Amino acid sequence: MERIISHSPVLIVVIPLISAFLTLVIGLWKKRLCYPFVIIALSLSLFSCIVTLNTVMKSGTIHYYLGNWDPPWGIEYVVDHLNALVLVFVSFISLMVAIYSKESIEQEIPEKVTFFYTVFLLQVTGLLGIVVTGDMFNLYVFLEIASLAGYALIAIGEDGAPLASFRYVVMGTIGACFYLLGVGYLYIMTGSLNMADLTHLLPNLYHSKVIMVAFVFFIVGVAIKMALFPLHAWLPDAYTHAPSAVSALLAPLMTKVGVYVLIRILFTVFRPEFPIKILHATDIMAWFGTFAILFGGIMALSQTDFKRMLCYIIVAEIGYMVGGIGMANATAIKGAIFHIINDMFMAACLFLIAGIVMHETGGHDISDFTGMFRRMPFTAAIFTIGALAVIGVPPTCGFFSKWYLLLGGIQARHWGFVMALLLCTLINVALFFRVIDKGLYVHALEHKLEHASEPKELQFHEAPLSMLIPGFIIAIAIFLIGIFNQAILKNIIEFAVPSGL
Amino acid sequence: MIVMIVGAMLIYGTLDMPKWADPNAPAALHVSPRYIEKTLEETATPNVVTSVLADYRGYDTLGETSVIFTAGISCILLLRKKKRENSGGR
Amino acid sequence: MLDFIISKYNYWIYIILMMMGFYGMIAKKNLIKKVIGMNIFQTAIILYFISTAAKKGATIPIVEHGHGEAVHAIEYVNPLPHVLMLTAIVVMVSTLGVALAILIMIYRRYNTLEEDEILQVKGK
Repeated sequence: MERIISHSPVLIVVIPLISAFLTLVIGLWKKRLCYPFVIIALSLSLFSCIVTLNTVMKSGTIHYYLGNWDPPWGIEYVVDHLNALVLVFVSFISLMVAIYSKESIEQEIPEKVTFFYTVFLLQVTGLLGIVVTGDMFNLYVFLEIASLAGYALIAIGEDGAPLASFRYVVMGTIGACFYLLGVGYLYIMTGSLNMADLTHLLPNLYHSKVIMVAFVFFIVGVAIKMALFPLHAWLPDAYTHAPSAVSALLAPLMTKVGVYVLIRILFTVFRPEFPIKILHATDIMAWFGTFAILFGGIMALSQTDFKRMLCYIIVAEIGYMVGGIGMANATAIKGAIFHIINDMFMAACLFLIAGIVMHETGGHDISDFTGMFRRMPFTAAIFTIGALAVIGVPPTCGFFSKWYLLLGGIQARHWGFVMALLLCTLINVALFFRVIDKGLYVHALEHKLEHASEPKELQFHEAPLSMLIPGFIIAIAIFLIGIFNQAILKNIIEFAVPSGL
Repeated sequence: MIVMIVGAMLIYGTLDMPKWADPNAPAALHVSPRYIEKTLEETATPNVVTSVLADYRGYDTLGETSVIFTAGISCILLLRKKKRENSGGR
Repeated sequence: MLDFIISKYNYWIYIILMMMGFYGMIAKKNLIKKVIGMNIFQTAIILYFISTAAKKGATIPIVEHGHGEAVHAIEYVNPLPHVLMLTAIVVMVSTLGVALAILIMIYRRYNTLEEDEILQVKGK
């Protein structure tokens, strides 16, 4: 048992990987067994993540040498507090979406269930592998696994999906290639690929032009992957036209893992003084974050399609996080890290609701929400909790992360960011009240139905249980994270903030 | 236009790089000598590329195999048509 | 000055190749041309990496069985970029495969591969 616990960082990635191979075999043999097998695999991976978090909280950073070769000659897995926290929540949300996906996938793509679950598990492998690794080239390999799986999963959606996925292919490949160029430029000057090793080697080379160009390419490459403001063009189309379970998996996770990679490169590989004092890159990032918030908010107001509105809300949320990193003081970075966790839950909750509405009514327009509070009261309750979290009402988790971001912005005297945060909160209120209004809009609908040719009643037709239970768990988790936020912040995020800030 | 900017930035970056085929470049001095010198005793493979690919950095090879697997399954997922139509579409 | 250009010209050639691929990816309207541009861009990056591995007067990194003699790293080409690029070539081919599969899906649906015609059909 001790031995299994000591290998837990690797088990996190290896279990979904081997399960992906096995799912293909099992699915071709008996299609019904795929779904339980996927649930078991993701639960085991979640268990390993919790064990890893426990170990990190007790004994500090884990250094796991793959193949027993010392770094920098072998590949190393470094799990510190930031890693472990993001890992637990990535695997938790992928487990929830997997439980949810059974009904939704059987309605939308009935004949390809086996292959879908295989690629689903590969996507989760890629995401977990990006978060847990400590080696730059290994990160590129897992980034490509996650990206390829994502391209395929998005392209099997509804009508406009292949074109949206193609645009994602082109932009995502540009992003990954810029990342690889950055790794190449760093390698040619230092000769090492290991993150901890680069931290020691780089301070001597800060004046070098190659390192500066490498840094710029890293930032641009990661910005494409996480949909920062001018480079976000792939996000609305891709997540709108994808199948519901795929949007619920990719939207909370892929962009936030990109923010995690940004924090790693900015503050762990290049020590904090480099982006803040020498290059002033964080000032530029703060302005891009501000523009992203304003742009996301304004575009979201003009959408009539619910999923597209959610996509622009995600663009604004990424603006919060990047702006928070750009403030470059400890409070704002705590807010940004906490917001990674919160946004995962909020986006998962809202995209689950969109999928449930699609399952019941066949569309994801705002007009499909009509009468929702009478027809599907539980779904409507989950939606209200998600909406309150995005707006930032205490005691949901959204309030606390926005609070820390505001405090950090005031401390850095960056009034543009503070104004944009407050303005976007108001815009979110308007957005969600518009949908809730449609949902409560029952009386005129009943009136219309009575006067129709055959009088029908507004039926109570609730979503199937396997889709509701993950929604409930995520909604309860939103409350719990909000209530226990001080515990999470003091015990984990305090240690995750990079030193020297 | 964007292409010019990116190209100029890349060329600006090369101004500081070590010369081509320089045996004293940091890339060749830091990590690689151990791979070449110790490959026979630690891995018993005279081909250094194989020993690095399969032994020192074997995990990257596992990742690469997964990439091929992902691409293959994705192609099946994307292209297979319903059984009622005439072609299998792979 | 001439010495400067001669010692660094290899990098510049690869950068020009990269920019040609990058231009094709973002400026051309035909979807196949975008995919070809993507391929050129990734190939140029791989060539750039491999050029960092060269050493003057060194031979390929296969160590002959020198019984008991010491092996000098300076006689052999740096093997690490070659290894990384084997993986990158595999990734490049996989991305090309998935991109072409998506193009087949687009072609079946819209019967054309020009981006402006597709957007016209979608807009209707």
